[in-house]
Amino acid sequence: MTSPAMIHRSESAVSVELQTPDMTLNIGPQHPSTHGVLRLVAKIDGERVRDVEPVIGYMHRGYEKLSEVRTYAQITALVNRIDWVSGFANEVPFIVGVERLMGVEAPERAQWIRLILSELARISSHLVFMSSYPLELGATTPLMHSLREREYILELIEEVTGGRFHPNFNRVGGVKPAYGGGSTTKKQSMDLPAGFFQRTAEAMDRMDKICDDIDSLVTGNELIKMRTVGVGIIPADKAIEYGLSGPNLRASGVAYDLRKADPYLTYDQVEFDVASASDGDCYDRYVVRLEEIRQSVRIVRQAIDKIPSGPLQTKVPRVLKAPKGQVYSRAENPKGEFGYYIVSEGGKMPYRLKIRSTSFSNLSILPWILQGQLVPDLVAIMGSLDFVLGDVDR
Amino acid sequence: MSDAPDTTAVADSPLDAFAEDLAQRLGALGHIVEFGTVRILVDRDAWVDTILEANRELPFFSWLSAIDWSKETEVGEGVDDPDQMEERFEVICRLSSVETADAAQFVASLPKEDPTIGSLAPHIGGASWHEREAHEMFGIMFDGNDHLIPLYLPDDFEGNPLLKSYPLISREVKPWPGDVDVEGMPETADDADEAAAEDEEVAE
Repeated sequence: MTSPAMIHRSESAVSVELQTPDMTLNIGPQHPSTHGVLRLVAKIDGERVRDVEPVIGYMHRGYEKLSEVRTYAQITALVNRIDWVSGFANEVPFIVGVERLMGVEAPERAQWIRLILSELARISSHLVFMSSYPLELGATTPLMHSLREREYILELIEEVTGGRFHPNFNRVGGVKPAYGGGSTTKKQSMDLPAGFFQRTAEAMDRMDKICDDIDSLVTGNELIKMRTVGVGIIPADKAIEYGLSGPNLRASGVAYDLRKADPYLTYDQVEFDVASASDGDCYDRYVVRLEEIRQSVRIVRQAIDKIPSGPLQTKVPRVLKAPKGQVYSRAENPKGEFGYYIVSEGGKMPYRLKIRSTSFSNLSILPWILQGQLVPDLVAIMGSLDFVLGDVDR
Repeated sequence: MSDAPDTTAVADSPLDAFAEDLAQRLGALGHIVEFGTVRILVDRDAWVDTILEANRELPFFSWLSAIDWSKETEVGEGVDDPDQMEERFEVICRLSSVETADAAQFVASLPKEDPTIGSLAPHIGGASWHEREAHEMFGIMFDGNDHLIPLYLPDDFEGNPLLKSYPLISREVKPWPGDVDVEGMPETADDADEAAAEDEEVAE
């Protein structure tokens, strides 16, 4: 039954020649490894996956339609719910796009604050990966360490924005002026909470430490390596064809990072290396993410040194209207390229908002990548893509 | 900010040159550069060939979607000038480089009565899901994609939700901002005056 074409990559199981008729295996939508509600309808032949049809849409909330009846200021509250693991990072490309449409530039300090919080979101998102991925491979210890450290990051985000997961902190022309404010009549320009930079610097020291811990727990772990090295290889050309971005693309040897290639905010003023690897297997995708946490720590430290004082918001009219036009704004989110195509007809609300969510494209490679894989590798491969179903379904 | 469209504001010359050069080489119908975003207008019959040609230098398939240009709309504010606008669908595909910041949106217009266009899915694997989404959301047919089954929507769902003629049920049932929210929208005249006064105050 097994055709020669199907035999490739990790070749260790099922060597006995049995007649195994095709069977349909339904995985999900409620399954711990699906990170939400993803269903896979897999046709399997013994232990081999012949064909897989991902079924998505269980979490489709229709944000593109909802955005058509909301003002630009209201939409930030929606978009940070797309990828809830890195809520802040979703707001940035949207607000940058709207600002570009309206010809508004946020003050320098606000840009730096956005940068710092984006990087904190990246660290937090990657720490979730560092906890869930080893868990899916059978290592439970990193979960405890990573999630404990993530709390320090979430506390910093909460301290500034008031929300752990859904900050809704960006405004057209800057960031929310006062934590806990909410007054629409008095425009108090409050700054960041006192001691924030001190606590951030301390947290960054902890992040260095946790990276070393994860390194010693996971990176050289024999069992993890057996499950991931050489498994789920995505060649660079396939990654590009399917629109994979972020760590998934960089693990395949394409060192493309929008923070370097198409800088936004103040990324052109900080030094960091683009983490990349060459094999494109599950292990490389893990390694790239771990290195990215270290680079983010580097960026945040520089930002703390460089951030200028000044206002958090520039003056914008109370009623925000965007001129007629179309703009695409993208950012390097923890999971990859996240973009918004905003179509404005000159009103207070967008005529159409296309959300280019990262996980949607990252997941679209599943039918290709899972073909011919072993059933036990399925979880290892899916986990390594680091998707969030909210980001897939929008 | 004025209401008048100022499309040349952010368009810098290198981007213009890039767009013009690309459009010329691809034999496109034209190009638009606004707000740092490049749009290359493509004839729908040449859609697949043009995209594949452009794909050689802009290899990264970013996304594909559509816009429903309608004079009348059940949701949102509608278009700026319905009399001047031609009702149509626009299919947009974005390709970008994986080395530089180069990227372009490719746009083809489809008539409402025959929303059919060639499919990219047989050539570019990533296009498959995007085409399925555009098919269910707008009813656009992709010639050559034989797997246009619903992606997000349930199998028995009727209608194309992202069409402007498709009402947003939650809004029909309860108009925004809803009865519980006592604060008026800033668009009311009083509020706007107050805002203007306040802005002056801040300026001082």
